[in-house]
Amino acid sequence: MTDRSVTHATFVIERVYDASPARVFKAFSDPAARNRWFVKADNWPIAEYTFDFRVGGRETGRFSPDGTMMVYNETIYQDIVPDNRMIFAYSMMIGDKRISSSLATVELKAEGTKTRLFYTEQGAFLDGLDKVADREKGCRDLYEQLALELERSAAIA
Amino acid sequence: MTERSIHHSTIVIERTYDASPSRVFAAWSTREALLRWGNPGDGWDLAYDHFDFRVGGGDINRFGPRGGPTFRNETTYFDIVPDVRIVSASSMTSEGKHIFASLITAEFILAGKGCRLIVTEQGAFLDGHDKRANHEAGWSEMLDKLRIELLRTQVAA
Repeated sequence: MTDRSVTHATFVIERVYDASPARVFKAFSDPAARNRWFVKADNWPIAEYTFDFRVGGRETGRFSPDGTMMVYNETIYQDIVPDNRMIFAYSMMIGDKRISSSLATVELKAEGTKTRLFYTEQGAFLDGLDKVADREKGCRDLYEQLALELERSAAIA
Repeated sequence: MTERSIHHSTIVIERTYDASPSRVFAAWSTREALLRWGNPGDGWDLAYDHFDFRVGGGDINRFGPRGGPTFRNETTYFDIVPDVRIVSASSMTSEGKHIFASLITAEFILAGKGCRLIVTEQGAFLDGHDKRANHEAGWSEMLDKLRIELLRTQVAA
């Protein structure tokens, strides 16, 4: 029988990007940009992906890091203020086991020509199936990928 | 222009009830019971526009003081382990504005012949429309009403 437990944790990632809030927001909302830094971040083969970026819309992704373990991510958008913030709830499963559910907020604050991004995740980590520190590191890595995407797209522009 | 802000806050509240985890869980998962205890205000109105208690399902309810503002809550159920836990995401609006988003965990823990209920609300209070103190009072009111509900529905041994 599964040993049931819930660990609640909050972590905050703060990162400054050399781009306007509008450009940072676009990296989240534009499917092509998002695909480069968020969806393809780890280069894991993607079995399924849907993206409906609006309040009440969802993003779903099914992908496999190693060909056998199937990871499923479902995101529900609760609030979107263009160029300012996104609030979403997301949940992850590995195989048929749910490993976490979280509330996440992304806030974009203009600082001169740059943007300070605050990512706050308030999560319920289930049954010892994921470690908070690993999740935080994974998110931090994603926000580094976003920096690379913004640099790349500035160079092309 | 709306002044945008997010205040993140986690509330943990617990009660021990003289009822099995199964009975307490049942009070959380049936519409008729929730209508009796799930109302955060003394004497407030509460109605469900939609009720679908299952993983991937959700509910929509409206509540508020008679003659006062109406609050609308949209909930999605992420995780349901019968008689053990419920994890859901909720988004609250009032007068067309998003005022609050949260991840709510309810844990039902066997305590002797009774049940220890732990509710964790990981919330984001938006744009100064709502505050933690309101939610602490609201949960306290609901969990007190739940005690009455459980006494009312107690089956004679």
